[in-house]
Parts: sequence; structure tokens; C-alpha cells
Amino acid sequence: MNSGIDLEMSFTQGVQNLGLSQELAHLLWIPLPMLLVLVSAVIGVLVTVWLERKISAAAQQRIGPEYAGALGILQPMADGLKLLVKEDIIPARADSVLFTVGPILVLVPVILSWLIVPFGQNLLISNVGIGIFLWIALSSIQPIGLLMSGYSSNNKYSLLGGLRAAAQSISYEIPLALAVLAIVMMSNSLSTVDIVEQQNTAGFLSWNIWRQPVGFIIFWICALAECERLPFDLPEAEEELVAGYQTEYAGMKFALFYLAGYINLVLSALLVSVLYLGGWGFPISIDWFSSLIGLSIDNPLVQIIAASIGIVMTILKAYLLVFLAILLRWTTPRVRIDQLLDLGWKFLLPISLVNLLVTASLKLAFPMTFGG
Amino acid sequence: MLGFLEKVADYTKEVVSAAKYLVDGLGVTFDHMRRRPVTVQYPYEKLIPSERYRGRIHYEFDKCIACEVCVRVCPINLPVVDWVMNKETKKKELRNYSIDFGACIFCGNCVEYCPTNCLSMTEEYELAAFDRHSLNYDNVALGRLPTSVTSDPSVRSLRELAYLPEGIIDPHELNANQKRAGKLPSQIINELKAEKSQEEDNNHSSNMVSNKSNPTN
Amino acid sequence: MNIAYSTELICFLILSSVIVSGSLAVVLLENIVYSAFILGGVFMAVAGLYLLLNASFVAAAQILVYVGAVNVLILFAIMLVNNKEKLKPIEGLKTRKLISGGVCGGLLILLLRVSITTKWNLPGPSSIGEEATERIGEHLFTDYLLPFELASILLLMAMIGAIVLARRDVLISIDDINDLKNQKSLSDKKIPLLSEKSLK
Ligand code: SF4
Ligand code: SF4
Repeated sequence: MNSGIDLEMSFTQGVQNLGLSQELAHLLWIPLPMLLVLVSAVIGVLVTVWLERKISAAAQQRIGPEYAGALGILQPMADGLKLLVKEDIIPARADSVLFTVGPILVLVPVILSWLIVPFGQNLLISNVGIGIFLWIALSSIQPIGLLMSGYSSNNKYSLLGGLRAAAQSISYEIPLALAVLAIVMMSNSLSTVDIVEQQNTAGFLSWNIWRQPVGFIIFWICALAECERLPFDLPEAEEELVAGYQTEYAGMKFALFYLAGYINLVLSALLVSVLYLGGWGFPISIDWFSSLIGLSIDNPLVQIIAASIGIVMTILKAYLLVFLAILLRWTTPRVRIDQLLDLGWKFLLPISLVNLLVTASLKLAFPMTFGG
Repeated sequence: MLGFLEKVADYTKEVVSAAKYLVDGLGVTFDHMRRRPVTVQYPYEKLIPSERYRGRIHYEFDKCIACEVCVRVCPINLPVVDWVMNKETKKKELRNYSIDFGACIFCGNCVEYCPTNCLSMTEEYELAAFDRHSLNYDNVALGRLPTSVTSDPSVRSLRELAYLPEGIIDPHELNANQKRAGKLPSQIINELKAEKSQEEDNNHSSNMVSNKSNPTN
Repeated sequence: MNIAYSTELICFLILSSVIVSGSLAVVLLENIVYSAFILGGVFMAVAGLYLLLNASFVAAAQILVYVGAVNVLILFAIMLVNNKEKLKPIEGLKTRKLISGGVCGGLLILLLRVSITTKWNLPGPSSIGEEATERIGEHLFTDYLLPFELASILLLMAMIGAIVLARRDVLISIDDINDLKNQKSLSDKKIPLLSEKSLK
């Protein structure tokens, strides 16, 4: 495989050429990816919110946002601005410290998880060895933030919503982790880059979705549950709990919850595309393509084209999944809390265990196709 | 063992059928996405109210005889008829008349029972106000005619669902002269009349026949 | 002193001060909910220390297990009980506090002595960084197999116990409750959540 373009290397080299030490160059480099993550996550959220509103409108034969910008494309921006300048209310009998920390604790792990999403061979923030495990660990912090905001609002609906959210994300974390484990077993690595590379040997035929169809479905269901998307949006079930743990929140703190929800959705979609749909891989192998037109894979032009195709492919796959999530939102009714827990513990958990076992035995039986 | 396997098979069947229904549902939602929006963009587009729309009440001061029938038939005795007795002519002299649309339920009783037909229902429904007392219309306000949706140049008027031709559900893509589905009320009345007269004719002739046949009995 | 070293030192100082003050707050705070939340913070700071030691897998596992599971369960338990109820004042609280403080102080002195007398700059094995995950797996399935399996059996027992406790049959007919023999077996005063009478 080609190594693609390495932004960090070129940046540090460029700074060093300016006459600065290597350490200083590294120090200068550190905030850049973080900024990039924040900006891309926020842009991703804006696009998703717009898509959600437009697609929802289309599914209900409405028009949706129309006047803010062409086709209402600036509507999410206007929403964000409104939330930004809105009065920040802390209820008189709420616990103001926990009330403020709660939404932050919900948002920060989600943004941190973006560290591991690869858009290309070297186009990710940090290729940490524990990759996907880091995401699972980070997403387990979220329930604490939810419980915190639910408890500190001093409101029975908030508390119930927080408890539900925590119960839900704990019970769906296990099948999710088991589904990921099956993938990890096949690619012999926790790193997202390795997982994608292992899938990109023969175009779309080598994607994990063919080898792990059950795992794909389990992962998608669990990801929806973790994001509190519609068939599983019990924590904020309007009809029962007003707005769940968000009931007392307004202004910027509410915006943090909102942001966290959508960043989580985009992140889950990105991870599904990384784990099951070949990440940045083009359906037809790029190597083969470049040899077809007679250019070397190390040609800078090919490199740049390959990198941009990789980014576009990743985002395209992710947004297809976002689209599916939105479509599901308007198709499925909300499940009851007992059905939710039933589905998690009595259906997904055994199935994912069986999936793991089958993967392991297949790996022993056919080491060629299932990763030696 | 076999029982367990059977259970697993049943369970799998259920799961498969559930998945099938889910996919069916997704198909329906997806199909809806390619339909045109039916949104009526209100201040710029308005639906044409139907013929029997019960909107704000119109009142003609000169026709009113201050009989107060409208007050008596109103469920909440709403119309205010302010009159004095003229001793010389021994007639009621109407001074003011008002209806509070903040309280009116637009039942139409007053319109139905007014002996001189000075009350009528209009198609005006835009009665939003900042102060509910400004909805208390006096005889001058009641006497104003509303602007019709079809004649307002700043509004695109759209037909309601029942007034669209057969098979069309979007009023936007409609030529002005396309006829609605079904018959017009006047047509129905004409038909009913024709039917009635035919029946009478039949009765007549059958009577004649029976009359004719009677003597033979 | 280069930049990397000083950043590490600063991180270490921050993390350890968070751990020390956090654990003191967990013990000393009156409000049990605060204690539980701060406990989560302490766990996270410990994970940060692991990260500083280049043990990212252990750090992630620490977060997953301690923050994501243990701490959330503690919070759940606290939030499901009624915290409006005033706790009964404990008799002789002062002497108890004194005794436990003394024990803790003794332990602290012991630990301090150990940490002062130990030679820390031992040339241990070089850190293996990213390979640690594989190494942990290897060890778990070779020389630490027995403790590993024992731990899993312990967890299995705990799980089965929890299921048995939770599956106390909810619906018990009235006769069963009136039956004295049955009552003895069902730990005397327990009243079923739903009896047939209440369902009607
Ligand atoms: S019923 Fe008609 S005529 Fe009589 S008072 Fe009312 S509006 Fe006037
Ligand atoms: S429409 Fe009905 S409620 Fe309104 S004034 Fe007439 S009778 Fe009274």
C-alpha cells in the first residue's frame, strides 16, 4: 500500500526549514489537528442538521427551511446563533455546578473520539494503537454527564431521562463492543487505519460488510441507541418526559447537548463506514486504477487525487448512513423501555456473542479470508 | 434439543419478518420523499375557502329591524342590539349593533334565523389581534366586506383538496380552468329536480293506468 | 530540561494533585452525590497517569471499567434511593472519626516510608508502547491463565447471583403469602410488588 500524504511530516519539515527546533515544530503542530477536529465536527453537525430538516420535510411532503440562504442552508447557523445569544437560565433550586459541568462532560468525550477517525492513510489526528478501543472507552464517560445533568436539574423528568439515558447507553455498549471485537479479530489490530487497510485489498468486495453482515446490523442498531436516535430516543421521549435530561436547559448549555447528539451521530456513521464499508477506500482499488492509466502510485498528482477521493469517499459513506438514520427516524415508532432493554440484553447480546464465536471459528478455518 | 431448535427457528422467523416489515416501512418513507410538498406557504399562498365556509359575520345595518332574534338563538346571547323606542313613530330605532368575535363560536345560528337576512357568513378567517377587545366588531366593522382570496393580487390562491380534479393532490400544478372531481351542487340540484319530475310523471301515468285498469275489475 | 520533559512534569503534577485532592473530597464531602461524581474524576485522573506512563491500553481500560461501569453503577444506586431522607446521627461519631483518621495516618506514614526507601530509578524493561495490548493478551492466556479464569468464574457467579436475586417471582398469589411456610422462605416481611389482588 502507498502511504499517502503525511501532513504532519510536511508541516514539521516546513517549520524546521524556517529555523525552529523539531520540538517546537511538534508543539506548534499539536493545536492544529485539534482545531481541525473542532471545525470539521461543527461543520459536519451543521450539514447534518440541515440534512435532517430537509430530509424530514421531504419525507413528510413539507418544504423545510427555505428562506435562510439558498434552500435554507444557513438555517442551522441561524439556530446556533440564536442559542448562543439566548439567556442562560439556571433554575433557582438546581445544583449550579453540576448543572454546568453535565453538558460539558457529554460533549467533550464525543469530540475527543474524533481523534481516531481516519480520512486517509495519514489523514487522521492520531493513529493511536488502541484506536477503536479508545472510542468505546470515551463513549462510556457520557452516561456520567447525562446522570449529572439529570440529577442537578432538580426535576423528576430530568432525573428519569438521565437514568434512562445511562441505562440505555450501558446496555448497548456491550453488544457494540462485541461487534467491534469481531472486526478487530479479523484485522488483528485495534487501530482504525489498519482496519481500513485490511478491507481495501480488492475494492468493495473486500469490505467488512460482506464478512460481518450480522455485526454490521448489530453495530448500527447499537450506534443508533447510543446516539439516542429515534427508535431509541426514550431519554427525551417528548410524550412522557417533556425533554428528558434536557428539560431545564436553555441557551448555550442546551446547544451543547444538541451538538453532542449530532456529533455523535456523524461520528457513529463515520465509524460504521470505517469498520464495515472500507473507510476511505474507493469501491474500485485505486492502485489498480492508477496502473491502468500508467501513472506510478508515488506520483504527487495521483497522491493528491487519491487523498481527496479518500476524504470524499469517507464523508459520502458516512452521510449515506446519516441519511439512513434520518429515514429510520420517520419510519419506526419509539420502542418502550422494556422492549429496549429486551432488545439489548436478550437479542443483541446473544447474537453478538454468537457472531464473535462464528468469526473466531471462521478465522481458524479460513485464515485467508478472515484475517490470519 | 429439538424443542430448543424449534424455538430458535421460530425466533429467527420472527426476526426475519420484523426486518421485512422494517424494510417495507423504509420503502414507504423513501417513496414519500419523491412526492412534491403539499405545503401552502401561507401569507403568499392561501386556500380558497369553501362555499359554506363559516367565517366572520357580515351585517347590514339598514336591513336590521332590531327584533333581537339573533340574540335569542345565539348559544351565548352574543349580539348586542342597542335600540330605543321612538314614541312618535312607535317604532324601534337601531343605534348600534355589535358582535364580539373573541367569544363567537361561528355556529351560524344568528345567520340562519335572522328574519330580514341582514346577517351572513363571510370567508374571512384572519382574526388574529393583539388585544382581544379589538375583536368586538361594531356595525361599521361588521359591515365591511372581506377581500376575497381570489381577487387579492398579492396572494396566490390555491384550491382545497376537495376542489381538485380526480387524481391530483397538489394544487400548485393546476390550470385555472380544470374542473373539480364530482358534480357541482347546482348540477346535483338540477338532477334531483329532473328525477323528481320524472317520478311524478311516472306516478301520474301509473295512476292513469290504474284508473284505466280499474273499471275492468 | 527540554519541552517534552517539562510538559510531562506539569501534567504529572496536575494529575496527581487532582487525584490527591479528589480522593480527599470523596471521603470528606457530606453530599454523597458529589462524592460519587468526584470519584469519577479521580478515576479519570488515574487513567491520565497511565497515559503518561505510555500505557494507553490500561488507561482506556481504566476509563471503560471504572468510569463507565463502576462509577455509573454507584451513581445509579445513589440516585435510585431516596436522598431526601435524613440519615440517623451515628453515635460516637467523633471517636470513630478519630480512630479511622489514626488508621489512615498510620497507613500514610507506612506508605511514605516505603516510597522514600525504595530506589525508583531502576533500569526496568524499556516501554513497549503500542505493543502492550498484544503483550497483555499473551500474558493473560499463558502465565496468568488461572487467575484470569478464576476471575471470570467469580464474575459468572456474581451474575447468576444477581439474576437469582432479581428474578424473585413478582406475581405471588395471596394464598402463598398467607401460607406461613412460604413466608418464612421469602425472608419474612417481603410483600410482592404485584399481588393478584392488586391486579384486579
Ligand atoms: S335577527 Fe337580524 S334583524 Fe333581528 S336584530 Fe338580529 S340582525 Fe337585526
Ligand atoms: S355565529 Fe353563533 S355564536 Fe356567533 S353570534 Fe351568531 S349565533 Fe352567536
